[in-house]
Amino acid sequence: MAPLLEIRAARRDFATPEGGKICALDGVDLDVGANEFVTLLGPSGCGKTTLLRAISGFEMLDSGTIQLGGADLTALPPFRRPVNTVFQSYALFGHITVARNVGYALEVAGVAKAQRDVEVAETLEKVGLAGMGTRRPSQLSGGQRQRVALARAIIAKPKLLLLDEPLSALDRNLRQQMQIELKNLQHRLGIAFIFVTHDQEEALTMSDRIVVMRAGAIEQIGTPRDIYRHPRNRFVAEFIGETNLFAVTVDRLEGDTALARTAEGVEVLLPADGRKAGERLTAILRPADFTIAAQGIPGTVTRAVYLGSDLHLSVAPEAGGPDISVAIRDGLGVGEGTRLHLAHDPARVHVLEDA
Amino acid sequence: MRNPWGWVALTAFSLLFFTFIYAPLFVIIGYSFNSNPVNMMIWEGFTFDWYTGLFGLSDRATGVGNRAAYIESTDQMLAALRTSLTVALFTTTISTVIGTATAIALARYRFRGRGAYNGFLMMPMMMPDIVLGIGLLIFFVTLGMQLSLLTIIIGHCTFLTSYVFIIVQARMAGLDPALEEASADLGASEWTTLRKVLLPQLAPGIMGGALLAFVISMDDLVITYFISGVGDTTLPVFIFGMIRRGVKPEINAIATLIILASVIIAALGLWLRSRKID
Ligand SMILES: Nc1ncnc2c1ncn2[C@@H]1O[C@H](COP(=O)(O)OP(=O)(O)OP(=O)(O)O)[C@@H](O)[C@H]1O
Ligand SMILES: [Mg+2]
Repeated sequence: MAPLLEIRAARRDFATPEGGKICALDGVDLDVGANEFVTLLGPSGCGKTTLLRAISGFEMLDSGTIQLGGADLTALPPFRRPVNTVFQSYALFGHITVARNVGYALEVAGVAKAQRDVEVAETLEKVGLAGMGTRRPSQLSGGQRQRVALARAIIAKPKLLLLDEPLSALDRNLRQQMQIELKNLQHRLGIAFIFVTHDQEEALTMSDRIVVMRAGAIEQIGTPRDIYRHPRNRFVAEFIGETNLFAVTVDRLEGDTALARTAEGVEVLLPADGRKAGERLTAILRPADFTIAAQGIPGTVTRAVYLGSDLHLSVAPEAGGPDISVAIRDGLGVGEGTRLHLAHDPARVHVLEDA
Repeated sequence: MRNPWGWVALTAFSLLFFTFIYAPLFVIIGYSFNSNPVNMMIWEGFTFDWYTGLFGLSDRATGVGNRAAYIESTDQMLAALRTSLTVALFTTTISTVIGTATAIALARYRFRGRGAYNGFLMMPMMMPDIVLGIGLLIFFVTLGMQLSLLTIIIGHCTFLTSYVFIIVQARMAGLDPALEEASADLGASEWTTLRKVLLPQLAPGIMGGALLAFVISMDDLVITYFISGVGDTTLPVFIFGMIRRGVKPEINAIATLIILASVIIAALGLWLRSRKID
């Protein structure tokens, strides 16, 4: 089946005041399937908002095409595109009631008042705001405004909903609650979401697929697990989650395992498959990949912090080199200054071939 | 307040300040009810005569005891009031439409010479009235236009548009551009967005600008003096003429009525503004 949204070779340059050019979108290709939850993730200024605005029509592409359900959107003005947006600032209309805000898309489309009222009530119900229709947006809390913005954007049943950091103004608890609600809503409505966030944890928990962007280009697209376990390059690896990167040279092979060392002498075990001694590569291990054991990398704990149920450690390897981040479940008796050995399963190592 | 003397000083200052501003108005209001026809500074007794006299309802005359003279000047005054209202209504409408449209266009569209355009719009406000008045007069004469109601209206529009523009522009600057984007995103054409979002959001500014334009138009003497035809005397020009023939008690009565009208308009303006639209 053809994807719902197809973006091909999208380019957008902005002129800088100094007379130069910034390439906000540098040949972006992206497919989004029907009912898929896709998250755009990347450092500030990498072009996430620009990509979203190109889809909604507020930025025109310099070149490239955007198709939705087979129809070409590239040259259409925003009001002719069947996508809706939840704005970061919510952008609610303060001069009309919540109900009229929510019903705006229908009102503009000429739907009769009676029909509108029914759909508005239904939609308010869906976002948990039943009975709030007669209020003004200024009489709502931040979380409620967020829901109004959401209700307003979904009432016309778009095939694709765009959300630019919709949760960034909410406090942590409300944010987590809204994450769950958004995900449920997306599931029930059968709408595809393109969601922008700075928060990688949010991206990992909510998305079907994550798009990691850098400097206007896509670095990697994949499921959260893919992106986390098999980052394509150093940038993705470092951007998503805490990472330990070891620049190593393969020392020798022992059966299924290859033994590799960093310049300082920290030993990392890898799967042997086809490795040769003297090969240089980067080994990636996540904090949770380590266990405390009788053998392994010897080191001293320099910092120990409880985060929820996990104990997070920084361990300085005896051999030298940067501290290793470790997260363990059961850290009884481990504290700053403890000397220990870190072991890992070779199969957990993700290898980046060095260029 | 921590320091009681500071509070006393502040109160005293405020009292002085308001006295300074409002005393002349209260003096006029007081005088307008003084029945002494010769010297208004000496209280002789309470009367409504100057008010009823204004409308030709009283026989009492100042100076000359001639009722006919009164009726004539009453008619003149009412005619002047009518002229003023006509001018103010037209200029308010025209300058509000042009000023609002200009403010929206300048805020939303980039074009060459935008900065210069902005500067030129301010100019009529900065220009001394007398220069503007003479300039307009010479302009109309050069074009061979008869001075008339039309020239007053055109003249007023030239500078009142700037006032409306400034006020609407301030409101426009405070408006989140995402509102218009949200409207377009939900399927509204530019025209619908203008009608359903932009104008309602700007309404307090537009109302404020219109009220200000109305009041300034009603009040303008200097510019109007140059560009009004013989038959088209506005109220300020009429009053100015009366004063030149001596300050009569009726002038106090007119002034008091104008103060009353201004208070009503100002209260209306404040009330409109208090109906918050955010
Ligand atoms: N209207 C504009 N004019 C000029 N440059 C712009 C404009 N909009 C965006 N840019 C530039 O394009 C680049 C991408 O911006 P964009 O807003 O898409 O980043 P972003 O990924 O959304 O960042 P953030 O995470 O901070 O929101 C940035 O370098 C930005 O400065
Ligand atoms: Mg952004």
